[in-house]
Amino acid sequence: MTQFWQLLFEGFSLGCVYALIALAFTVIYRSSGVINFAQGAMLLAGAYVISWLTVNEGVPFFGAVAIAIVALALSGVAFQLLLLRRVATQRPIFAVVMITIGLGTALTSGVDAVFGSSTRVLGDPWGSTALHAAGLVFDWVKLWAIVFVAVVLAAFYVLDRHSRYGLAMRATASDEEAALAVGIPVARVQALTWAIAGSLAVLAGLFLSGYPSSPNPSLGESALTAFPAIILGGLGSPVGAVVGGILIGLIEVLAQGYDPSWLGNNFYEIAPYIVMIGVLLAKPYGLFGVRPAERL
Amino acid sequence: MTSNHPRRVLALVAAAALALAACGTGGSSKSSSAAASAKSASITTGPGVDASTKTITIGNIGAITGPAAPLGSAALSGTKTAIAAINDAGGIDGWKLSLLFKDAGYVPQRHVQEYAAINQQIAVLESFGSPTTKAIQSQVDAAKLVTAPLSWDSAWSKDPILAPVGTPYALDIANGLHYLVTVKHLAPKVGIIYQNDEYGADGLRGAMAATKHDGIKLVAKAPENLGDTSFTAQVQKMKAAGADIVVITALPNATGPIVGTAASLGYTPTYLLQGPSWLEPLMTATGALHAKPTPIADALAKSTYVMSFATPWGNNVPGMPAMLSAWRHYAPTQLPSIYFTWAYAQTRVVAAILKKAIEDGDLSRAGIAKARLNVGAIDTGGLTPTVNYSPQPGPPSSSSIINQIDANVVGFLKPVASGITSPADSAVS
Amino acid sequence: MVTELGTTTVETRRQPLPGTRSTHGSGGVRADPSRRGRAPLGWGGAWVLAVLLPFWLSEGQLSTATFIVIGAIGALGLGVLTGFAGQVSLGQAFFLGVGAYTAAVLGADHGWNAVLWIPAAGVVAAMFGALIGPTALRLRGLYLAIVTIGLVYIGQNVFTNATSLTGGPEGRALPTVHFANWLDFSAGNTLNLGGLTIDHNGLYYYLGLLLLSLSALFVWNLSRTRTGRAMQAVRERELAASVLGVNLARTKVTAFVISSFLAGVSGALYGSFISFAQPGDWSLTISIQYLAAIIVGGMGTVMGPILGSIVVFGLPDVIQNLSFVSQNGGGGLSATDFASIVYGVLIIVFLVVQPEGLMGLARRIPRRLGCSEGSMPEQRGDPPRRMTAATTKPEDQQ
Repeated sequence: MTQFWQLLFEGFSLGCVYALIALAFTVIYRSSGVINFAQGAMLLAGAYVISWLTVNEGVPFFGAVAIAIVALALSGVAFQLLLLRRVATQRPIFAVVMITIGLGTALTSGVDAVFGSSTRVLGDPWGSTALHAAGLVFDWVKLWAIVFVAVVLAAFYVLDRHSRYGLAMRATASDEEAALAVGIPVARVQALTWAIAGSLAVLAGLFLSGYPSSPNPSLGESALTAFPAIILGGLGSPVGAVVGGILIGLIEVLAQGYDPSWLGNNFYEIAPYIVMIGVLLAKPYGLFGVRPAERL
Repeated sequence: MTSNHPRRVLALVAAAALALAACGTGGSSKSSSAAASAKSASITTGPGVDASTKTITIGNIGAITGPAAPLGSAALSGTKTAIAAINDAGGIDGWKLSLLFKDAGYVPQRHVQEYAAINQQIAVLESFGSPTTKAIQSQVDAAKLVTAPLSWDSAWSKDPILAPVGTPYALDIANGLHYLVTVKHLAPKVGIIYQNDEYGADGLRGAMAATKHDGIKLVAKAPENLGDTSFTAQVQKMKAAGADIVVITALPNATGPIVGTAASLGYTPTYLLQGPSWLEPLMTATGALHAKPTPIADALAKSTYVMSFATPWGNNVPGMPAMLSAWRHYAPTQLPSIYFTWAYAQTRVVAAILKKAIEDGDLSRAGIAKARLNVGAIDTGGLTPTVNYSPQPGPPSSSSIINQIDANVVGFLKPVASGITSPADSAVS
Repeated sequence: MVTELGTTTVETRRQPLPGTRSTHGSGGVRADPSRRGRAPLGWGGAWVLAVLLPFWLSEGQLSTATFIVIGAIGALGLGVLTGFAGQVSLGQAFFLGVGAYTAAVLGADHGWNAVLWIPAAGVVAAMFGALIGPTALRLRGLYLAIVTIGLVYIGQNVFTNATSLTGGPEGRALPTVHFANWLDFSAGNTLNLGGLTIDHNGLYYYLGLLLLSLSALFVWNLSRTRTGRAMQAVRERELAASVLGVNLARTKVTAFVISSFLAGVSGALYGSFISFAQPGDWSLTISIQYLAAIIVGGMGTVMGPILGSIVVFGLPDVIQNLSFVSQNGGGGLSATDFASIVYGVLIIVFLVVQPEGLMGLARRIPRRLGCSEGSMPEQRGDPPRRMTAATTKPEDQQ
């Protein structure tokens, strides 16, 4: 039974990190209809930047995190304002998505070129320390992941529901033209969403490369696991993203831990997708997604 | 009507694009087989051999990007250093070596593509990786191109065109387990976590062969895929089965998280690492002795043995001083790495084969292949186990070197024993 | 939610309703009789060039050209599914794998001749396409796209586990094409035709070119038939199409079937050419490359996917082989990374400047040269102007 609780803890922690990634996707999608395929590369870049600052430049850890957040947020804003904005009014939307794919490719190789492809040390203060209680092992880095994510989500909730920018984001998501007509600075709002996504990418990268993992090139693909999360949660719904992320994290780790061999090797890799498909059979727009009204 | 023009323009654009692709490489890919008008009339030449400039081109398809990049980069450095040292010492009987390198990132398809791109311009090939070399094996066999794989799969021993250097993975594991159980008296319950491809399968073969002796029991085996980042499932399996020794046949990107996850769960078996599972940066941030330790360094240094395909850095063997001086001269920024040592030795083995071919007066593909068969024993000065090529199929060496991880030595490997063999060896070959 | 303004011309929207318009071909292919005439001559010329090309290329370049030609077959298929019918699919890698393994089982294990296993690979893949097709009835837009991503992962997992068919994670050898003893594509064999020697790479190139030409003709013809037009109607406005009598189920499933048939053939040829495949090869990266090919080429067009294939499958190799790019590794940018970065940047820049792809570019050039005559924006395939903050740039006015 201890195995179950141990896995539950690990799954919940991983799920919180997926929730961050899913939220980043959702925030951008909601206000511009674009799925940012470069999120994984941004995550990777964030982790490597932190690692380089702490290990090579001796910057204190939290300072490094802050610098990385600012750097990634600014890059995201620059990308949106300079490039995406020019294209977004023209069709087809998947050309815009392909631009983010191009960014992802270039950024991933860029990280490899600049930092090399060997596994690095993150330089976080928690290392391999853990809390031992009730016969279970709670790695500090995983505990802090849960705490940080809770704080971030609370902050996002406040931003979204109780601030002017949050209102502006939701208005832009609802109807861009109307928002413009009412005087909402749509460009600024969309830039804000990219800044949020960049910051979330750094945090997610940080916790994904914590003990026993480390900053390594495969981090970029971890973001793909968040796709089932946003789909089963429902595209465009922040609540759905968080719920989806946590659910996917739990499923992945539990499937790993119990790994029934009759389901073939490495079933845990596809368990999230199987669950996603199952949810979609019942609810084609995800748990919290809204079926759009269509008019001819 | 405008409708014609787009099509025509398009055709021009397409043609231009194709023409651009054609011009893109300029003349860099013309083969030198036209230089068959040998000046030194007594020697037969072939692809990759230029008798007018007395140059032999060695092809090298490696991995300096991708999951095996740290291994591949260090190996490339070793190869280049060996070639530079040989050339500066006068070459092989006056023939100089030139290196034609292509990066395939440990991806079999790219390996195949790069092979297609360079195979007309090289006399011998060095090829990185097991699944990648497997992908071109039938082609090098058909082309009679002697290939030295940077991998230690048992399958290479059966192919007379291949020139592996070192003991195959399966033999290494069998020898290592035998040693740990009989000499170090460790408990014989063994688990294995192996990469889900040709490389891992060979390690598994060794573990299974070892179960026939010494009371060794294989209580758990778990595959992992290249690129996996989470190993909870595999570690749980080992822990649940109570394995006392866990064999890891994977790449360093996996070794770190595996050991870390196990420590996280309070599970501390003795680890037996296959050669390529180990890399110096697993212990410190840069792999250098006094750099910042990694979070898993402690767990790793508790009780971990590494089967290595080359001798630890700085070890007192006859060939080491020459290698160290070549390293300082040609590659001073390369961090000490066992891959450097090994690739340096491998290139010298390839040079020995070429030397035999030159002495026999035949540098064509067939001539080099014959030299490979008949060259006999090649001594690498102790840098690797002595290599023995003969017309009989079989591994070039079957004894192993076992080291233990020690956080306080350069290169982090303390030699424990070499020349170890086991009763399972004949079963594996 | 958002309301439509109810015009029949296609309108640009920043936020497509999920499922209805996640892709918009730029105007699609119009079956306009006046477009016949001299157009085929241009393509004929390009085709002749393609036939003569191998004699000017080195081995490595020919190998790249062969990959381009084989890939273009699959890209054409995706062009039908995503470009014509608007069903975004990132599952192409799965169908490629199915085709390759069908070829392996029939060609290598059962000794069938290539003349049989090439089409059989297409048929088996098409059967899977028919099974997957109905999901498009229930799921729209990005939901469908991400389910197809799941298809790729599930497919890889199944391939890895089906060791007897696929060789498991270690992979297996795939059969080379062998039509007859004198027409054998094995490594090292050559074909001598009255003085001309064609080797392994060349043989695959010509076979690929032949199949590509047939596929292109088929797709071009499809665009002019009722089925093709039904697909484009589904892409533009699904609800309106069904109201007008288009059978959504049949149209979507047909699109999947055609697309996966071509993918199966492409996968079989590709696998045969590289002669060895592992389950890990049929990855999402490959699917993304195919999608890139049709977007860069121009979605909704017939020839766009082929042009896009030249860029997407050929460009990385060209960049890597440029003489000034260092291949010697160690210290400095590796050629692979450099090629990848340049490729990503080119995709970004190209699509920012020309989101309608190469075909869109080709349409604009004659107009800029001043040889157009009074065409409506819709006919030209331009998006209608919209009043948003970003559409005030001079170069958008034409």
